[in-house]
Amino acid sequence: MLDILTAILIAGLTTGALYALATVGLSLVWGSMGMLNMAHAAMLTLGGYSAYTFSTALGLPAFVGFLGAIVVGAIAGGLLYILIVRNLLKNDKATFESNVMIATVGIGIALENTILLTYGGQPLKQPISATGSLVLGPLSLPYQNMLIVFVVIVLMAVIALLLGRTRMGRAIRATAQNREAAQLMGVAVNRVYFQVLVLSGAIAGVCGVMVSSMTQLSPPLGNDPMLKAFIMCVVAGLGNLPGAVAAAFGLALFEAFVQYVAGARWGFPTLLFVVIAVLIWRPAGLFGRVQIRRM
Amino acid sequence: MNNAAKPPLLRLANVVSGYSELKVLKGISFDIEAGDFITVVGPNGHGKSTLLKTISGLVPLTSGTISINGGPTLAKPHAIAALGIAHVPQGDMLFPEMSVLENLLMGAYLAPSKAEIDRRLDEVFTLLPKLSDRRNQVASSLSGGERRMVGIGRGLMMGGQILLIDEPSLGLAPLIIEQIYGVIAELSRSGRTILLVEENPARVADLANHLHLLDDGVIVWSGPPAELLARDELLATYLGG
Amino acid sequence: MTQISRSKGISGSARLDLLVSLLLIAAAIALPFMVDSRYVLGQIVLALFYATIASQWNLLFGFAGVFSLAQMAMFAFGGYVTAMICFYFGWNVWAALLPGALATVVFSLVVGLACLRLTGVYVALLTLAIAQTMYLLIVTDTECFTMVGSICRQFTGGAVGFARFGDLGTRALLKGQWLVGNYAIIATLFTVTMIVTYVIVKSPIGLAFKALKDNPGYAVARGVNRFQAQLLVFGISAFFTGLAGGFYAAHFQAIGPGILSMSQLMFIIAITVVGGVGTFWGPLVGTIVLVGADELMREMGEFRTLGLGLIIALSILLMPKGLVGRVGDLVRWLRHRNAAGPKTKLQENRAAAGE
Repeated sequence: MLDILTAILIAGLTTGALYALATVGLSLVWGSMGMLNMAHAAMLTLGGYSAYTFSTALGLPAFVGFLGAIVVGAIAGGLLYILIVRNLLKNDKATFESNVMIATVGIGIALENTILLTYGGQPLKQPISATGSLVLGPLSLPYQNMLIVFVVIVLMAVIALLLGRTRMGRAIRATAQNREAAQLMGVAVNRVYFQVLVLSGAIAGVCGVMVSSMTQLSPPLGNDPMLKAFIMCVVAGLGNLPGAVAAAFGLALFEAFVQYVAGARWGFPTLLFVVIAVLIWRPAGLFGRVQIRRM
Repeated sequence: MNNAAKPPLLRLANVVSGYSELKVLKGISFDIEAGDFITVVGPNGHGKSTLLKTISGLVPLTSGTISINGGPTLAKPHAIAALGIAHVPQGDMLFPEMSVLENLLMGAYLAPSKAEIDRRLDEVFTLLPKLSDRRNQVASSLSGGERRMVGIGRGLMMGGQILLIDEPSLGLAPLIIEQIYGVIAELSRSGRTILLVEENPARVADLANHLHLLDDGVIVWSGPPAELLARDELLATYLGG
Repeated sequence: MTQISRSKGISGSARLDLLVSLLLIAAAIALPFMVDSRYVLGQIVLALFYATIASQWNLLFGFAGVFSLAQMAMFAFGGYVTAMICFYFGWNVWAALLPGALATVVFSLVVGLACLRLTGVYVALLTLAIAQTMYLLIVTDTECFTMVGSICRQFTGGAVGFARFGDLGTRALLKGQWLVGNYAIIATLFTVTMIVTYVIVKSPIGLAFKALKDNPGYAVARGVNRFQAQLLVFGISAFFTGLAGGFYAAHFQAIGPGILSMSQLMFIIAITVVGGVGTFWGPLVGTIVLVGADELMREMGEFRTLGLGLIIALSILLMPKGLVGRVGDLVRWLRHRNAAGPKTKLQENRAAAGE
């Protein structure tokens, strides 16, 4: 009984940490600029493959691969702003929300396909991973899972400090809460948007490495965590970062439990059915947080 | 030495602006010198807020020029803020999920040093001691009068050369309005340059040294406040008595 | 004055729409006599399916403002239900088409009840999650439901899907010319779909959506209920999308989870975006352009998806209103230029009279 509970708990916490990372990247961009980045999944995949290139193909140490994934993700986020988002912002503000979704859907599929053409479709092994387990009496804790939870906690703390304590973070939050007022204070919102996309790209890079270390590298790698992150966002409300983290861990534990009881295939569908049922019953959202948000 | 050639602090020349097709300001010209207290009065919906938003860059200029210390007209609000235009917008526009202190710190976003931020913070807390008590409270939980004070305090934190204040009395109880105007009078006495927008000219009678009457996007009358208040026909035509 | 010119404008555009429709119908009738190649005719039938799906997505997104990413899920749902009824109960395909479409409507209403009270982006998130889950559930279905000979068959058909459950009867009737028969059927389906779409766009519901887009506050004050109106359009578009799914399964005599893949959805979005979101003829124009481009990209094989993605991103960047929108801008610009002279004079007169 105890070992079953431990297994569910370990699986739930690990996937919860991964979902939290995926959700925060998505939610941060939405909260500060009203943009749903549909290319986030592909940026995740890009991060995973970048680590592979730096570590396995170029033979550099693992932490260089890890840093490489962060840098490549950040560059991808920056390019997304420079090439696409900046130009869409010049057009009609009213259509930005849907236009940027469509544009990033296109960018996402193009990026995923570029990865497929570059690395091929066969699964690759993510070199940045730990083997073995910590055995504590009857408990067995895999190092890989501990590493993921540790990295995610550290990263969350860094993000929280960055947003809460720094001048840049304050400008990002100010832009999210009242864009015009932020401009009046001297905040260049275009630079904030750029910073936010670079930051979310870096987070996507880390997330890609972590996800692929649990499974394998493949071009559609990012799609599954993104799918889960979408539901977390619906539950917690986009732009609500603490809510996103809570929803990610809560729903991941629920999913792990259902997967144990009903089989792996039913974990996510059950989650989705529950969310749909609750939304029909209580349209305001699970925590009453799903609301109209105009930037 | 050469005072005549020195450009005014702020100069508006034939300013036309508005929202896409709709022109709200139809050719506004006036100067503001250092130490002035200028008030723009006029009925609601005739371009008073748009005037301030055009100066601070939130509403784009269609034609005409706005020069600060004789410099060229700028387009982006953040660049205009850097030149010393501190805009206290209508309805405060605070950052609702931030604390009072964080709101004030956002005002000092462009401040050059930590020491300068602390100096301005001291100044604001001396002028508005209530904000010091409430420094850790979230802005959205404040009362209307407290929010107005945070708005003004945030504007002061910008350390600008000109303070633009948009209808500071809007939506407040008479007693609170009196307090707010007391603070504004204090600011004026300390030598700050103020451009204030107000619906009721009586409120600024003792404060403003010059008054512009704005109607339908043009200035229809200018002069000292006492003179306007003495002219019943102007009050009746433009301000409904 | 303005009243008259405006109503003249509407009847003018309606006349243009009618003219274009008649020309298109004439071309559609002439087409089988001019096209010999079976391959080309087959691709045209496929294009008609794309145009039908895209027109319904455009109705949803472009007119009703519902950014649903479950469009291919609706299409697949109709196709699967039709195929499964034929496969499990041995019905004739024609009899199974309507139940398939109606089942899609029920499915869409459940999805709509959950989604449509949320705002734009949440609709996108939830519908995509639903579509992906449907795909995953079908692909990972390995449990044997029935045995066909010695082969295990899953209830949903699994990764393989369903095949040989019947056809539209054109083979028995027309022998070698069966493809022309199918072409006629699918072209009729497309025509009917477009007519109904036109009626909806010009109906009080269509006007209500226009009001919601132009001035939400006013529209709500006038008693327009966005949720109910969107749910209604969601159901209608699901009916035609599901019906098209059934015809698709019947035409190809097969259906599988492949149509639920992201690249298929992408193709529909690309068609609508390139043609012009929220324009009546956009999806048709987009289909012609993209199916044509796709044929050209066939040479490049594996670069096809990459090209599609870039086409979507670039066209939303460079022409947010699509090709039809661009043509509309051009026409308006020409008219404006012609009308500029007299109009200024008129304004002067009015100003003189008013002041």
